[in-house]
Amino acid sequence: MTHGARRTVRRGLALIVLLGGWEWASRAGWMNPFYAPPPSAVAAVLVSLVGTDEIWMHLEATLAAASAGLLGGLALGIVLGFAAALLPVVAELLEPLMILLNAIPRVILAPLFVIWLGIGLASKVALALILVAVLIFFAVYSGIKEVDRRLVERVQTLGGGRRALVREVYIPSITAWVIGNLKIAVGFAFTGAVVGEFVASSRGLGYLLQFAQSTYNAALTLALIAIIMAFALALFALAERLERRLLRWRQV
Amino acid sequence: MLRIRGLTIAYGGPPVLENVDLDVAEGEFVSLIGASGSGKTSVLRAVTTLLYPLGGTIDLAVPPTEVGFLFQEDALLPWRTTRENVSLGLRIRGMARPAAARTADEWLALLKLDGLGDRYPRQLSGGQRKRVALAQVLALEPRLLLMDEPFASLDAIVRVRITEELLGWVERKRLTVLLVTHDLEEAISLSDAVYVLSRGQRSTVQARRAVPIPRPRHVLDSRSDAAFGPLLQQLWQDLGEESPTQSAKDER
Repeated sequence: MTHGARRTVRRGLALIVLLGGWEWASRAGWMNPFYAPPPSAVAAVLVSLVGTDEIWMHLEATLAAASAGLLGGLALGIVLGFAAALLPVVAELLEPLMILLNAIPRVILAPLFVIWLGIGLASKVALALILVAVLIFFAVYSGIKEVDRRLVERVQTLGGGRRALVREVYIPSITAWVIGNLKIAVGFAFTGAVVGEFVASSRGLGYLLQFAQSTYNAALTLALIAIIMAFALALFALAERLERRLLRWRQV
Repeated sequence: MLRIRGLTIAYGGPPVLENVDLDVAEGEFVSLIGASGSGKTSVLRAVTTLLYPLGGTIDLAVPPTEVGFLFQEDALLPWRTTRENVSLGLRIRGMARPAAARTADEWLALLKLDGLGDRYPRQLSGGQRKRVALAQVLALEPRLLLMDEPFASLDAIVRVRITEELLGWVERKRLTVLLVTHDLEEAISLSDAVYVLSRGQRSTVQARRAVPIPRPRHVLDSRSDAAFGPLLQQLWQDLGEESPTQSAKDER
C-alpha cells in the first residue's frame, strides 16, 4: 500500500470512529439529541430531503446563484484588473474602492442588495459576484503589474510587439494567478449565494437553513450543511482538475 | 557592423556611462570587459533599444531583426515547452506553427537537446536551459550576436563545453559577436578585440586591445598561446588593478 493510500485509510477510519462515537454517545443519552442529533438521524433527514422534489428547487436556486456569481465575478474581475493595469486613470479610481471592498466583510452588502434588487435570484448573484470580483481583480491586477520583466524583454528582443507580449507573457501569467485563486473563488461564490438566501429569500439552501434554524431543527441544519459541503467539494475538485491541466508547467 | 559613438547612459542620476566609442566589424568577435556596475550591460540594452541613451549614436549595419541577444539569465517562458520556447522568435516573425516546430527540433538536435522538446524549463538542468536559450536566439539566424555574460551561472565543466560549441558555431558561420563579460580569460580566449571599461561612475572605454591568437581556436588551447599571458597582464593594468601575480612578486 502506498503512503497516500495508507493516509486515506487512516483518515477514513478516524471519520468512522468519530461518527460512531457520536452515534453511541447520543444513544447512550450522553448528548442531547435536540442539540446534537446522532448521525443516523441526520442521514434519515438527508434521505427524506433528497427523496422530495422540493429540495431540487432549492439546490437549483443556490447553484444558479453561485455559478452565475462565479462566472460574472471572474469576468468582471478580469476586465477591471486588465483595465486598471493598462490604464493608469482607471487604476487611480478603482484602487481605493477595491482596497476598501477588500478590507470589509463584503457580506454586509447583502441587505443593500436585497433592497435594491429584491428577494429573488438577482440579489444573491450580486453578492456572490462582488465577493468573487474583488478577489479576481487583485489577482489580475497584481498578476500584470508583477509580471516578470525579464520575460517581457526576452519577447521584445525576439521581435515581439504588444500582441506577442499579451499572448506569450501576460495571458499565461494572469491565467496562473486566476487559476491559483479559483478554489477560493468557488468558496466565495457559495458564501455569497447562501448568505444572500439567508438574509431574505423564498428558496435556496440558505433559505432552508434559515427555516431550519428558526424551527430549532438541528438535524435539518446538519443535513443542509452536509449537502452544501458536498457541492462545494465537488466544485473544488473540478477547479483542481482545471488547475492541474492549465498549470501543468508548474507541477511537472 | 556596429558603430557606437559618444554613448552616454544615465538612470536618473549622474551618467553610469559617458562617451563610449566602440566598433565591431563584420565577422569580428569583440568583448567588452569591466568591473560590475561599470555599465557593460547597459551598452547591450541600448543597442537593442531596451533603454534609450542620454546621448550618442548607435549605427547598426543590419536591421534589428538580424540582431540576437543572449541574456545573462535564461528567461525562458516557464509555461511553454522547450520546443515552443525555441520556436517563439520564429512564430513572432510569422512562421507557421508546424514549420516553426520542425525548425525548433532541428536546433534542439544541433545543440544536443534531442528528445527534450516536450519538457518544460523547470524540468531542465541549468546547462540545458542555457542551450535552449541559445537555440532560441540562433534559430533566428542573427548576423550580429549580443551576449551578456551568458554562461556566468554555469559550472566550469559545462561552461567550457558550451563555450567551445558556441565558438565553433561562430567561427563556421562567421558571426559577428559583441560579448559582455567580467571574465578576462574568457574575453581573451574568444575575442579578436577586447574593450576595457573604466570602473566606477561615468565609465568610459579605457583601452582597446587586439588579440593576436590565430583562428580557428579552442577555448582551452587559446590559454596556452604565447600572447595570452602578457595580454592578461595588460588588461589587468587597463582595469586599474595591479595584477595579482605582480603584487605577489613585489611582496617577496
